[in-house]
Amino acid sequence: MTNPATEPYAAMQPRRVWLKDVEAEIARQLRVIQGPTGVPINRARMSNLVIFCRQPEQVELVNQQIPTILGYHPCRVILLVGDDANQLGQAPVQAEVNVQASLSEKDQLIFSEQVTLHASGSDVVRRLPYAVRSCLVGDLPTNLWWADTVPPSLAGPLVYDLAESAQQVVYDSIGWAEPAKGLLATAQWLPKIERTYAQARGRWRSVADLNWRRLKYWRRLIPQALAPASTPGLLEGLSELTITHGPHAVVQACLLASWIACKLGWRVQAGHVEPGVELEWQIVAARGRHIVRIQRLSEGPPRVTQVQVRWQQAGQARSLRMLYETPTRLAVVPEDQSCQRRTITVPEQSLSELVARQLSDRDHDPVFLESMAVAQVFAQTILSRS
Amino acid sequence: MNQPNQPVELVNPFSSGTPDALIPQPCVLVIFGAAGDLSWRKLLPAVYNLNVDGLLPSHFAVLGFGIGSQGDPDEWIRRRAADGIQRFSRQPLEQTHWEDFSRSLFYVEGSFNDLSAYQQLKARLDMLDTQFGTGGSRVYYLSIPPQVVPVCVEHLKAAGLVGDAADPQRFTRVIVEKPIGRDLDSAREVLRDVAKSFAESQTYRIDHYLGKETVQNLMVVRFANSIFEPLWNNKHIDHVQITVAEEEGLTQRSRTGEPTGSRIGYYEGVGALRDMVQNHIMQLMCLTAMEAPYSLEPDMQRDAKMGVLRCLRPLTPEEVDRSVVRAQYIDGEIHGEQVPSYRHEVREFFSQRGQPIPQESTTETFVAMRVFVDNWRWAGVPFYLRTGKRLPKRASEVAITFKDVPQVLFNAKPEVPLEPTVMTLRVQPEEGLSLRIASKLPGPKVRIYPVKMEFNYASSFGGKTPEAYERLLLDVMAGDATLFMRRDAVEAAWEFVMPILQRWEQSRSRFLPEYRAGTWGPLEADRLIESDGRNWRTL
Repeated sequence: MTNPATEPYAAMQPRRVWLKDVEAEIARQLRVIQGPTGVPINRARMSNLVIFCRQPEQVELVNQQIPTILGYHPCRVILLVGDDANQLGQAPVQAEVNVQASLSEKDQLIFSEQVTLHASGSDVVRRLPYAVRSCLVGDLPTNLWWADTVPPSLAGPLVYDLAESAQQVVYDSIGWAEPAKGLLATAQWLPKIERTYAQARGRWRSVADLNWRRLKYWRRLIPQALAPASTPGLLEGLSELTITHGPHAVVQACLLASWIACKLGWRVQAGHVEPGVELEWQIVAARGRHIVRIQRLSEGPPRVTQVQVRWQQAGQARSLRMLYETPTRLAVVPEDQSCQRRTITVPEQSLSELVARQLSDRDHDPVFLESMAVAQVFAQTILSRS
Repeated sequence: MNQPNQPVELVNPFSSGTPDALIPQPCVLVIFGAAGDLSWRKLLPAVYNLNVDGLLPSHFAVLGFGIGSQGDPDEWIRRRAADGIQRFSRQPLEQTHWEDFSRSLFYVEGSFNDLSAYQQLKARLDMLDTQFGTGGSRVYYLSIPPQVVPVCVEHLKAAGLVGDAADPQRFTRVIVEKPIGRDLDSAREVLRDVAKSFAESQTYRIDHYLGKETVQNLMVVRFANSIFEPLWNNKHIDHVQITVAEEEGLTQRSRTGEPTGSRIGYYEGVGALRDMVQNHIMQLMCLTAMEAPYSLEPDMQRDAKMGVLRCLRPLTPEEVDRSVVRAQYIDGEIHGEQVPSYRHEVREFFSQRGQPIPQESTTETFVAMRVFVDNWRWAGVPFYLRTGKRLPKRASEVAITFKDVPQVLFNAKPEVPLEPTVMTLRVQPEEGLSLRIASKLPGPKVRIYPVKMEFNYASSFGGKTPEAYERLLLDVMAGDATLFMRRDAVEAAWEFVMPILQRWEQSRSRFLPEYRAGTWGPLEADRLIESDGRNWRTL
């Protein structure tokens, strides 16, 4: 999957209806777009996509992503707007419907629909999971995208209720206000929410963090750069790992450090925090003690920007840097100037593309869970210091 | 801080025990015949697309080898690659990607027969290992004429360019293109020659059809859905039709009718049986007819396919006459434009090159045949195979026709005979699947009409499907041989078609049925299937 195969063609204005009339309204809007000839239509729906958010700015952000998501992953979108801070309005859950059409490469009109459910007041928000059930298309997988800025692990029972019929819960740890607290809570929450097929048969569920997905190309580059075949002696003499990140990406950096630690069998011994600037851990490994450092840049894109590895070889200090050479290319910069940079293309990772790709990728990811278990230890050492 | 003199771990701890192990590994891709048509149209654009999609290893380079460069060899191959990408790539040539791709693209000029050229190749590869950190791992893509394969692999070995198959640090893999031989004996010779230099685990015999999504989906449809497999046998299936139809002839022409390229040099004397049936169509048949492998391990799947080839009913000379039709296209019309006959294209090709023009060619451009798989599952179910050039449209599919319902109820005295249920897996051009079922037309009267339930890859899943070559190249770099043909399968496929080739050779008939370009083949092919009370599907 590289580019969306469809482009937006037409969209009906959202229309507010009673919850019980959602299906009828979808059918009506389809007929309007079909026109008087009533030509046969293609409704492409790979899944139900239930999205939860609270703030108006989040709603706007999510709505901007939906057309691109539908281009990659046609689905029924059910957007839940839960304004639980509003204690004045206790109106029933209100529904808004709009049908969109996009044009495929073969000039076929492909239709998809969005249902937006508004809930005001905490009591009404709690009723959202019941309202969602009536809007799901049967026999299709259901994905829950937790688009709220509060980590799902700290969101209370609502996330469990919404996830009940979902086979996948997607969240994004970028920009969490309290990264260490969020990481710790999420690492403890994951085993409760994730259910493997072996555990739960038909009620299995996987969980994915978009930040983990953003690290995909780092996780592809680092094994090649550190491989004994390409950099002999590095793993044997490794002494220090420094991960540099832009604002809002400390969780991403922690996830990457956890993954490396997990793969290399490192154990965290102690941690040190310089708030907003640097995190540092001492690590015990089979080959000795190492330092893992996470450094924050005061500005720049919200992602891991550089990974630097230092090691000792034949009594000499050596170093290898991996960094973003351009916004869409990661490079390994060899010490030897005569060598070529080793690069890997990082296809555009907009929020909508990340979500769309994650929706089709429902595999249980044991490496993520193992890395989160290590991240939990990293987070604990930070919280115990602060 | 570190404890020195620890033993060196050979295995990369990052790539063990996780799905990441299937990620393509650092290597240099060496394309033999990089100046040729396949490299220009398919391979270099495929590698470029993999670069754009971020699927290539970071430690990676491409080295072309062959003759025909002009000026600086590296610049020449880059120009040629850029031209191929601009014409044939599914993704456009973009400057930033091109700069990254082209700086890792090189060319060594040399003859496949010249051992010293392989020494130059080795020196260049060693240099690239240092420059790109590829650690001595190689993928050799032999996009070269079959007659050159033996000398090429021999020289690779002699030049020390073939590593040990058991080396955990670096790998050497070779991709061998079809045709593997032109009959059973020559195929065995090629297989033996390659095996002298490369272990079976290092050898990847490519059939690009197996890299297509629908072909891979065949197994998924069969074995990941509980409703199909119980019906997938002679109790419920009437017959199977596998069609690989091409609009193109052997010569590409400009709008003014001037030849711009030709495959006659390869095709003449080879024909459709060797070119399409022995490999692509037999593989499609294997996937359609095979038993469920008990795991997804490459060899388990390949064993299951071998099970089909072993059960093919051998053809006696008389059965070849009854069950196989060959033909050649004469002039006709495709999309409203006049196109010449195959023989005209042959004459044109050889006269333009000042080479002796062959006698009236008897190379078949069309084959239709009836095949039986004599096992418990398929006993009595005919497989009708058909392929041809200059047919009305490009279409490849596997169609499973289910048996008629009993002649009671709706089928008792039908005013219009009920059409059978047909499941079709389209390989190209629009990859997808359809199921034709009978349905009642709205209205007071019970009128039954066939309707098609369609699943189209593009509209259901979005995105553009990668080219088969992209998937297959990645598989080789990751060391996954599932979609490649094993040696025994190649031999078994040749063993099956040999009686046909021998019968045609013995008959020495100059007569070859003809079909007009732009039609679905000769009358003889219609008679073949109609004699069984069936018809070719309209595509």
